[in-house]
Amino acid sequence: MVRGVKATHWLLAYFAAVVAVTFIHAPWLLVALLVVALAMSGRGRWKIARRAVLAGLTFNLAVSLGYAAVAQWQGSFSARYLMLVNLRVLLLLFLGFWFVARVNLLEACRFSPTLGFVVTLAAGQIGAFARLLRDFRLAFASRNAAAPALQDRARHAAAQAVQLLDKSVCMAAETALAMRSRGCFDDYADLPAMTPANQPAPVWRPRHGAVRTSYRKP
Amino acid sequence: MHIPDGFLSPQTYLPAYAAAGLAWAWAARGLRRTLDEETVPRLAAMTALAYGLGLVMVPIPGGSSGHALGVAMLALLFGVRLAFLAYSLVLALQSLLFGAGGITALAVNALAMGLAGSAAAVLAFRGLRRLNETAAVAAAAWLSVVLPGLLVALALGVQPLIAHKEDGTPLFFPFGLSITLPAVLVPHFFIGAGEAVLTVLVWRFAKARKWCAA
Repeated sequence: MVRGVKATHWLLAYFAAVVAVTFIHAPWLLVALLVVALAMSGRGRWKIARRAVLAGLTFNLAVSLGYAAVAQWQGSFSARYLMLVNLRVLLLLFLGFWFVARVNLLEACRFSPTLGFVVTLAAGQIGAFARLLRDFRLAFASRNAAAPALQDRARHAAAQAVQLLDKSVCMAAETALAMRSRGCFDDYADLPAMTPANQPAPVWRPRHGAVRTSYRKP
Repeated sequence: MHIPDGFLSPQTYLPAYAAAGLAWAWAARGLRRTLDEETVPRLAAMTALAYGLGLVMVPIPGGSSGHALGVAMLALLFGVRLAFLAYSLVLALQSLLFGAGGITALAVNALAMGLAGSAAAVLAFRGLRRLNETAAVAAAAWLSVVLPGLLVALALGVQPLIAHKEDGTPLFFPFGLSITLPAVLVPHFFIGAGEAVLTVLVWRFAKARKWCAA
């Protein structure tokens, strides 16, 4: 990441670039922008480009082949359209993967505490899910010298699904407790707001009977 | 049923972002107050499950993809607002990390799958649960797939009408409603049946652990 440029600014720049790309309908300009993006994306450019091509391949192929068949049949085939749509999708995917490779997503979402909170939680759980699935897959493979029967696979999948959910909930519960210990949950959210009208000056007194506090009336 | 990046015109996705922005603000209102250390782990686990389900997708001829959503189980367990937010997050992460869906299509995808899907699921469940709870869950899950499928097909199918050159060549998605409606909807009738089975299983799991809110 370029020093001095905040992750949130990168996020905004990425959004602006994406919107701008969808207003361009000249294939040569999209090619030029793709070349510029490739040149600017540094050492990992070919890795990012490969990811972008693979991510869009199946959908673009399905749409392109479908369009080619229908348009040929109707006599309205346009090679320029195929170039335009495929280049646009490729450039958008490249920009997305480049952004994610360069910028910490959690940092980029810091401008909103709620968004940051939710993204942190979800990203943590997704990571936990991925680890659990890999552990299960490796454990199953290590316990089966020969290829297991379909019935065994089904039984394993059912047991794995239940275990996965239970374990995932336990792990998320630990995260939630850690978040509570760091003050993430607002235990006093249901209390009436301390406006001047209900705040007896000059000494503050809790008005809610259920609130436990170490406060002692002087 | 993600709409991929680059197939929606700005005339579609910019107004969709405005609508989704309002919906996200509505859904996020009081979010921190509704989340506690009991809800958070369940929501996080179900969101991660929906994320995993959404990644197992196959392209279908209408230019979209077929996959289970998991939005019905989110909606039945946590309500429409949390389900919409959680599913929007799932879509954003899928598009940024895997290129599945896309940033330009995020708002339309979120409104169709996250909001319409979860609202349809909750309404169907509330309407049918008196007859038979399992059937109500299954119907809710089926509807939560088919209704977003219909909306996605409509959003894609109108692209040649609203974004084309003077000679009629499309600029974004090339197929009209006569192709997108059957191509997206027919596979989703069957995907909805699979989603129904899956949601019933998760519903029973959640009910055994007393998580249910709907």
